[in-house]
Amino acid sequence: MALTELPQLQMGFRDIQTANTGFLPAPPPSLLTVVLDTNPHAWELLSSTTGLTLSNVVANLLVFINAHLAFNHVNQVAFIASHVKRAVFLYPTPPKPTPNTNTTANGSAPNGTDTINGTMGDSNKYRPFARIEHEILTNLRALISSTTTSTLRSTTTTMMAGALTTALAYSAKQSVLLSPLADPISAGQDATADYNDGAPASRRGPPLTSRIMVVSVSGDLAHQYISVMNAIFAAQRQKIPIDILKLAGDTVFLQQACDATGGVYVEPEVAEGLLQYLMMAFLPDATARRYLVMPGGGEVDFRAACFCHRKVVDVGFVCSVCLSIFCQPLSDGVCLTCNSRLSLAGAITPAPALFPRKKKKKKRIAGDGTSGASTPMQGVTPGPS
Amino acid sequence: MPGVLTSYKKQNGTLSVSKDNRSVIWTPSFSSGSTSAVSVLVSQITNLQQTPATSARVSIKIVAQAPSSTEPETHVFSFTSTDARTDQVNITAIIRNAVEIAKNESSRAVAGAAAPPVNAGGQPAAMAIAHAISTTPRNDEFWYDDSKLLSDVVLQRSLLDANPSIQQRFNESLKDKPESISIIQFSNQFWSTRIHLLRAHAVERAQHQGTYNVLSEIKIKSDSDGQAKINLSREQIQLIFNQHPLVKRVYNENVPPLDEVQFWVRFFKSRLFRKLKGEKNLDEYETDAKLDKYLDYDENADHPGNLQESHVPHFIDLEGNEQDYSQRYTKPDITMRPGNNEKPEPILKVLNSMSEKLIAAVASSDSDPHDPVGMDENAFNEIQLRDLQSRNTDNRVPLDIKNQSLFFSRQKEDTISTQAKMYSKQSPHKVLNSLRKDIDPELATSDGKGGLKLDAAIGVHEDSDSDDEEPGGKRRRRVGSTTSRNSAILQLLRGVKQRRAQGDDFSSFSGTFPPIEPTVLGLSPSIYDNLNLTNNTTIEFLHYFWSVFLSGDPDRANEIPKLVETLNKSLDRIKAVSDQAEAERNERIEAYKRQHAEKQQRSGKKFKLDISNIKGGAAVVNKTIAPTMDSIGEATEKFKKVFEAQRALQPQ
Repeated sequence: MALTELPQLQMGFRDIQTANTGFLPAPPPSLLTVVLDTNPHAWELLSSTTGLTLSNVVANLLVFINAHLAFNHVNQVAFIASHVKRAVFLYPTPPKPTPNTNTTANGSAPNGTDTINGTMGDSNKYRPFARIEHEILTNLRALISSTTTSTLRSTTTTMMAGALTTALAYSAKQSVLLSPLADPISAGQDATADYNDGAPASRRGPPLTSRIMVVSVSGDLAHQYISVMNAIFAAQRQKIPIDILKLAGDTVFLQQACDATGGVYVEPEVAEGLLQYLMMAFLPDATARRYLVMPGGGEVDFRAACFCHRKVVDVGFVCSVCLSIFCQPLSDGVCLTCNSRLSLAGAITPAPALFPRKKKKKKRIAGDGTSGASTPMQGVTPGPS
Repeated sequence: MPGVLTSYKKQNGTLSVSKDNRSVIWTPSFSSGSTSAVSVLVSQITNLQQTPATSARVSIKIVAQAPSSTEPETHVFSFTSTDARTDQVNITAIIRNAVEIAKNESSRAVAGAAAPPVNAGGQPAAMAIAHAISTTPRNDEFWYDDSKLLSDVVLQRSLLDANPSIQQRFNESLKDKPESISIIQFSNQFWSTRIHLLRAHAVERAQHQGTYNVLSEIKIKSDSDGQAKINLSREQIQLIFNQHPLVKRVYNENVPPLDEVQFWVRFFKSRLFRKLKGEKNLDEYETDAKLDKYLDYDENADHPGNLQESHVPHFIDLEGNEQDYSQRYTKPDITMRPGNNEKPEPILKVLNSMSEKLIAAVASSDSDPHDPVGMDENAFNEIQLRDLQSRNTDNRVPLDIKNQSLFFSRQKEDTISTQAKMYSKQSPHKVLNSLRKDIDPELATSDGKGGLKLDAAIGVHEDSDSDDEEPGGKRRRRVGSTTSRNSAILQLLRGVKQRRAQGDDFSSFSGTFPPIEPTVLGLSPSIYDNLNLTNNTTIEFLHYFWSVFLSGDPDRANEIPKLVETLNKSLDRIKAVSDQAEAERNERIEAYKRQHAEKQQRSGKKFKLDISNIKGGAAVVNKTIAPTMDSIGEATEKFKKVFEAQRALQPQ
């Protein structure tokens, strides 16, 4: 290549290089959004079964975040707690709703910085690391102390859908901040062109590669099925991989999130080796992952939850108009979601008849009405060899 | 068939069934004015009665109803020959068969046309026949009729011949099918899930090659002596005559003096041939006194009705736009000049007119031949200038979406998961307290300034080996200990290996798994194929089982136990394959051990014997086929459950 012989020309040709071959002089900035499930119920259960406590996990995550930031000075981090009933930003600290508060690029509020200046004098800590650590811990403590027993009594689920949505919104915002669009009028078109790796990307700075990492400890997401799935599809469209570190709980949909977005799904056998899992499986960003074989490749549970009872179903009925899923045929043939009138003749299978009809005597055995609906799903026919 | 002697309305005559089985005909033996011949359409027969076998009088009564009339007609034929009873039995059998066939045809036609179901014969059947007759000529609809495809044995056979993998599957399944299921039932079942393949094959078979530009295909080869040689088939000559009427004319006018071979030899050397082919005629080419006089003859002059040319839309007509195009400074490209292209590049014109001819010979498949010629609506829409028009009105259908959370909240209670139940057992107060204690800033791992002593908090001590020994003697894994980190490494590497075994992840569509190579599994190709085959037939029977089981048809109830038996046999077959694989693996292990012993003997050193590297065996087979086994289990389980339930209800 001519570039190696003429290094002095490299700077001048950089734009062309970027546009034509996608070659970048440095790895693009990478945003890591950590979503930590802080459901107190789940943590209580987890710490009683394993040695893992919330503070352990936060400490390990802080080391992980530091490693991520140390990779590249333009890397960014966000930390969201998926608490009961709400999703809260732990880092960057959300600005106080006073009119003269101003946020910096990475969103840290001035008052947070003040506290650090006042209290953080540790010369053994790299200041940016210390600042993030301090903010996360302060906000987490505030969050836990603001949680009341009555809140915990009313619900046991975590606000995963909200946290994922917040993370996606933050990723989108950061990527716009990093490489502002040339003119606001073309913003709409530009955004769509960007998904298809369209040409406009070349006149902007290197794009932000975002990823979301979810540390999941509580199950029971079926009630948020639709919003979680919507978040998954949004992430898929934005090419934001969702990584899942499942410490506990049984969540079908998060595994689908990984599969759909190309993220890493790890369910540790030995949760105490958490740091190793974090460093080995989740540290490479989207750019690095293109050159690595990531762990995974296990079976994915592709089941969906029905819209009527939020049950995870093996076999369901799908509205042909709005694609809503139901676990049983609708009694009046009207879709609950879109009010379309559906013809259900084909959906009802007759009860199996195992005994031939006696002469003259009509013998229709009632059997079990639902049995007809379950054709085994596992029977995958391999293609002809 | 030979007629039988009968009397009808006291007249002697012969009763017979026409050759095509469509009508029953009675003809009087000698014509008299009082009775004429009677003909009853088989499709209109609604009832057929005969006198009891014991009765002395032998006669049959045919009741028929024409679609046009409301009253049924009754014909009574008495058999008059000496062997009247045999005659009667014979003719009734024939008529009954004919009626049966007619009914089948009509019901099939009805199934295709989605008409209301046929009652036992009568008027609907007759109408369905009429319907069937009117639809058969429309070939394309015919292909899409499922029942037609299912009953077309010739087509199925031809598809089996064309597609070896289906053939193999079909034959294997056929071989293992239970005795009680007839071949027809089986093949119907087999094809009912593959109608799309049949249809594609039928369409494929219906295609045939069109004509081609024959002159350009004829190549003049020279053999070893330098003699020019041409192979010319009869069909090619025919094509030349069809495509070039001029050649036909030249042939007609010249062949009596010349003989045929001479004519063609001269033709292929002539300037005429070059002209027709579209080549340029250079002066040095040899001339031919006889054929050259046709050179100036315009081939198309005889056929002024060249359809295509008269309907060139102005949009693309070069000549038509000539007068509106005044500001021109350079000559347009050679292909964009209107008029005669013959001078500079004759091939352009020749190829164009050739293509037009070829296209004109093919009936267009995508448009109705009865449509007006010229531009159709689609073409008109396509060339319209749309950007100047106002936007179309939004014709989307609004969806009335309700907020789902409204009607779900009431059912929340009964769907609570086991996890949620466990959570609800914990006291919220205790939960919150322990969590607050956990993140308390006064903890040992805190640095006292709101941060953490991260090195302490993550619990990694690089210099300790057995750090899982807690002081209390209780062996419990500590967060961040070496052993737990090591097992994490093992798990992740296993995951990486698994992902790699599935091949290059980018090659497959997301959401699918790339096929696993037999070499990865460690199975020999023959066992792998065997496994594949067993799986295929098993899946075939599972299809069959579910379709019968879920049909709810008591008449097919007898098939189900047999199918369950077959599924159980499939388990045996899978077992056989896994045994085979195990034997193969043992053989390989033995071979490896021998090799190992030899190696040790030769070198005199001890080597570790590691047989974990030898893959394959029953375990791999069972793992690969596990989903299919699960399906069989599911099917037989369901069968047992329903069987027990129904046996309880069954009257003794």
